[in-house]
Amino acid sequence: MGIVLVRVDNRLSHGQILEAWVPSLRADCIVVANNQLAEVAFQKVLMAAAVPKGIKVAIGTIEEMVQVLRSEELADHRVLLLFANPQDALQAHHLGVPFNELNLGNLHGGKNKKRLSCTVALNDDDIEQLQALDDDGVKVVLQCVPSDRKRLWCKLT
Amino acid sequence: MKLPRSVLLQVLSRSFLLQASWNYEQMQSLGLIYALNPAFRRYYSGAALLAAYRRHLEYFNTHPYLATTVIGAVLKLEEQAQHGIDPGFTISEFKSAMVAPCAAMGDAFFWGAMRPVAAVVALLWAFHGSLWGPVLFIVLFNLPHFWFRVQGLIKGYGGGVRVVSTLQRWHLSDWAIYLKQALVVLLGLFAAVIGAAATDHADAGIAWGLCAAPLIFGMCALMRRRGSPLLVILISSLLLLGWFQLN
Amino acid sequence: MFLPALGVTVAVAILCGLDRTAAGQFMICRPIVAAPLTGWLLGEVGIGLQIGAMLELLWLGRLPVGAAIPPDDSQVAVGCTFLAVISHAQTGLSPQAVAVASLLIGMPFGKAGQLFDRLARLANARLLTMAELALDSGRFDGLDGFHLRGIGHFALASLATLTVVVGGGMLCLPLFFKYLSGPLVAAAPWVYLLFPLVGIGSLLSGLRVPRGVLLFVGSFIFGLFVLALR
Repeated sequence: MGIVLVRVDNRLSHGQILEAWVPSLRADCIVVANNQLAEVAFQKVLMAAAVPKGIKVAIGTIEEMVQVLRSEELADHRVLLLFANPQDALQAHHLGVPFNELNLGNLHGGKNKKRLSCTVALNDDDIEQLQALDDDGVKVVLQCVPSDRKRLWCKLT
Repeated sequence: MKLPRSVLLQVLSRSFLLQASWNYEQMQSLGLIYALNPAFRRYYSGAALLAAYRRHLEYFNTHPYLATTVIGAVLKLEEQAQHGIDPGFTISEFKSAMVAPCAAMGDAFFWGAMRPVAAVVALLWAFHGSLWGPVLFIVLFNLPHFWFRVQGLIKGYGGGVRVVSTLQRWHLSDWAIYLKQALVVLLGLFAAVIGAAATDHADAGIAWGLCAAPLIFGMCALMRRRGSPLLVILISSLLLLGWFQLN
Repeated sequence: MFLPALGVTVAVAILCGLDRTAAGQFMICRPIVAAPLTGWLLGEVGIGLQIGAMLELLWLGRLPVGAAIPPDDSQVAVGCTFLAVISHAQTGLSPQAVAVASLLIGMPFGKAGQLFDRLARLANARLLTMAELALDSGRFDGLDGFHLRGIGHFALASLATLTVVVGGGMLCLPLFFKYLSGPLVAAAPWVYLLFPLVGIGSLLSGLRVPRGVLLFVGSFIFGLFVLALR
């Protein structure tokens, strides 16, 4: 079946993903592509422990996950792909992960960040990378949970 | 320096106010500092205390009931850092690794499973006017609530980073699935109670109660297409009112 | 009668509003508890219980996960119980009829709760800025105080929602009773059944468990069968 949702979320796999998105999209596989996370063992253990059995989890660096997604291994799964920031999403897109819609979930605030919505704040780099994805034909949308309305990011910047 | 029980009790009681200043910038960060404070005032003073506050005034958001697990482990790690023990990661990294999985487990177990189970059990009583309903709800829901708050702090403070394996052993996300199956069974029973009440009211045979099931599945399909429960209620109530007005 | 009742309602509303997010989270704020509690304090526990039973499941599937805020069913429960108790005394209609009427009128106003809850959380961001400024200038004694001030924001937000629910209800309910009390009495028992029916549907729509349909249909038929044997 392939990828059913690609999402950028600082918190990667958490309650909104497992309680709202997974049931609503009937996803049965979560792929977390993040270079920092892949390095720390206990972090991977924890993230996997939060996922109930019956749902497949793959956690690794962006390049590893691109390989996994290319292989036949996940061909008949409904995959939910998670990145921690727009940069990683852009990199994966350049490495050949096919998606034409990118969901912005939680990108929390900080210094020099522009707030698009309650849950999404972007700095200049983020905007540049999302623009690059947008130019590649990826529709960038804001939708925190499935019951929220989808909003195009360019209408908010 | 090991924390005396009285300080841990203060931390526990303060953890109930974790979300008092919840905001979109750092969510529970001030709440975390508020809960850690009784211990921090023993660990540090002066400039060191200020530095500790600064370190912890950063994004923090997890499930309020499982937060004590993180808080306990953070206290342990702070203690170890004073003894010069280096775990190979900063406390800040540890926190950011803990919050999302704890949030996910807590959301699934408490919000997704335990609360609706307690609510439907309560409704089986409350629906026909028994006050046992609300009482049962509060007791049933808060038993695991308190257990995890207390155990979390104990295991977290006792184990430090080893609390990760405690969390793994609890299998909260698997329990959430079993509880949700129980919830589906309870919802079926409750639907039967409603069906029976409807046939009683209409003076029809109880077999007509079977009609409740397709109605519920219809509602279910409607909600999946993002129908709002509020609108469905308002529209169908208006139809009912209109029907009785005409007859 | 009116003012003391309003005072009690305000107190319960604040208690439940805080329990929702800021303090404790013992789930006193759930309609199944909040409404009977209000009703009990106002001397009409039955009305509260019916409102709680109707409202409980409706928005239960909307989880407070992450930064998402579900509709404020606590203030709707408390506010509508107050409205129902008052209308019961004024119109003499059955408890069920006044409960149904107050909910139908009060619920749309309750949607405002999301707005006020968000405002409280936005106001809390200022507390964080104040705390950061204090730390920057080397002062750290007031940190607890900044945090606790958030309780005030949440309390104000629940009061605001309650005001909208009760105010809106007081304006609209007399009209409702004037023109629709006839069909209301006949329809009330059916609407009372409709609420949990929609609630079950909404809750089920968010649940995906192994063998879910089988479990539901099985226990439903079993339940009816047992009830038929009574």
